[in-house]
Amino acid sequence: MNKYITASLLLLGCIAYIFSSNDTGSSRVFVNLITFAGVYGLAAIGINVHFGWTGLLNFGHAAFMGIGAYTTVLLIPHSLGREGVVISTGLPLPIAIIFGLIASALLGLLLGLPTLRLRGDYLAIVTIAAAEIFRLLVRDFENLTGGVYGIIQFSDSLQVYRPNFVDVISTRYDVSSAQLWVAILTWISIVLVIIILSRLQKSPWGRALRAVREDEDAVRALGKNAVWLKLQSFMLGAAIGGLSGIFLVFNYGTVQASTFVPVLTFYIWAALILGGVGSLGGPALGAIIFWVIIAGTDSISRLLFESPDGQQLAGVRFVIVGLLIMLFMIFRPSGILGKKEELLLDVK
Amino acid sequence: MIEQLGNGLLLGVIIALGSVALSLLYGVTRIVNFAHGEIIALGAVMTLFFSSSPDSSLLFFDRYSPIGINFFGSIVISIILCGIFGASLEIFLFRPLRKNNFGNIAVLVVTIGLSIFLRHIYLLFASAKPSSFILELQRREDYFGIQLTPRNVQVLVLGFIVMILVGLFLTYTKTGKAMRAVRDSSDLASVSGINSDNIILVTWIFSSMLAGFTGIIQGVINNVRWNMGFLILLLIFAGTVLGGIGTSFGAMFGGFVIGVLVQLSVGLEFMDGHTEAKNALALGLMILILLIRPQGIFGTKDRIS
Repeated sequence: MNKYITASLLLLGCIAYIFSSNDTGSSRVFVNLITFAGVYGLAAIGINVHFGWTGLLNFGHAAFMGIGAYTTVLLIPHSLGREGVVISTGLPLPIAIIFGLIASALLGLLLGLPTLRLRGDYLAIVTIAAAEIFRLLVRDFENLTGGVYGIIQFSDSLQVYRPNFVDVISTRYDVSSAQLWVAILTWISIVLVIIILSRLQKSPWGRALRAVREDEDAVRALGKNAVWLKLQSFMLGAAIGGLSGIFLVFNYGTVQASTFVPVLTFYIWAALILGGVGSLGGPALGAIIFWVIIAGTDSISRLLFESPDGQQLAGVRFVIVGLLIMLFMIFRPSGILGKKEELLLDVK
Repeated sequence: MIEQLGNGLLLGVIIALGSVALSLLYGVTRIVNFAHGEIIALGAVMTLFFSSSPDSSLLFFDRYSPIGINFFGSIVISIILCGIFGASLEIFLFRPLRKNNFGNIAVLVVTIGLSIFLRHIYLLFASAKPSSFILELQRREDYFGIQLTPRNVQVLVLGFIVMILVGLFLTYTKTGKAMRAVRDSSDLASVSGINSDNIILVTWIFSSMLAGFTGIIQGVINNVRWNMGFLILLLIFAGTVLGGIGTSFGAMFGGFVIGVLVQLSVGLEFMDGHTEAKNALALGLMILILLIRPQGIFGTKDRIS
């Protein structure tokens, strides 16, 4: 129970930090942070299904997020590329999202098939390569993806569903109603995904997955198909990643080749390791703390450099991200909420 | 397509040297070192720092003035410093982890954190723009139908000599034999009186020096930038997987083939206008190899499952 007290105290500290460090517009900062934390938390839940449940090393989550987001956005009305070609017809958003999730899961199947039979570190190499391939192809095939110019004007498909009370709240607290709506939807999805996952975890399927993580040979001996179980877990986590990617681009309102760079994956890993591998709520908590830390690093940058430019801000952020991943992995691999016995740290 | 052959040979040598260093370290320590690329970049960044004249208008170090010593002297210093850096990584980070029975996956995640950490340290100390070593510009000349600058020919020859030396070192010296013994079976090696801790330390030093050298020739051929290690690392992985991860000559061969193929693919018709996609092609090839022959061309089956 102790760690839940720690977690709640940390969460309260984070919120207090946001409101005390910003005199003006603190609610706006709060909504911005809570949106990004939600998106990253959802993505981290996806990696948690891979790593925490099944022991699969996925370092290419940006590709799963990206393919889900691009598929969805290209299926709804949008404006594409350098010339801004307007495509005004498209599928209704919920159906497009389903296609996006299927696309992410299919990419998971595609990457999983050659590698899941092999030892764990091959999957790490292949997924990191896949994320790089995805970035290069998105950049290179401008006709399809808009390349570096990207895709814009697709947010309306989501914002038409925005209920009235969101606008009421956003005018009262002076925040962007569009972002607030994305934040609400993201956190609703997190709750739904956690509920579904907690049921899955207790189901025979979830037990079989954990058994695969602990001892694959024993699972095989019981007549289960361990590779197929791993593939299912890989596809499920990929689809959750795709959902978070969709929310990420709706939060930005645009999507370009630079949205889903491979480093995005490492942000999410940092959030996951902070919150706790293997726990259900850990990734979401980790994402909130992670974003507060990121906001804090920007003040470190201001101490180090007189007026930090974007490069210095990014540099300090990532130095801290790298340190966090290293230190937590060495000294507290189970994070804030995780259980140590739920961790797989040896190559199978 | 033939006009790309010169560039292909150059890239092949870079990736072959990087692959053999990565693969040797993996074979002996079982660490998939994602920070390998950052050690490669370290060699190049330090050579640039030592060799550029203090008053040069180099954008790379906008807060620290370069030292400005002789180019070859700075190469030697940088390679030695890379070796020291590798040794300190082993002594202060990876040896304590090994003694505490850290699993391979935990160590892999640690190397990823280390790689992000180091790469952005370079970014903070340097600028994001690519820079070149202070060397005079040279015109390309014709060597047996291949267009190369005289300096790149020297680099090519030097790279091949280093590869042969690495091969001789591993095959004939006592240390090289001990490294291969630990790689094949660390238990049997220690039974025969080999101190595996020492061999692992030597491997870290050797691999880091080789990586630093790789970075320097990459800097001579192309340019020096803070994230050069991460970009080349993925191709090095592709080369290592092709040749067989854990092998030395296999990795060398695989790296060389990947480098030449990547560069030759630029000349293909369907690649026209998609210059960036050449790396995607190499990585796609890697995934294909894993599907067909996961142990690589020269690898053995026991390493993979």
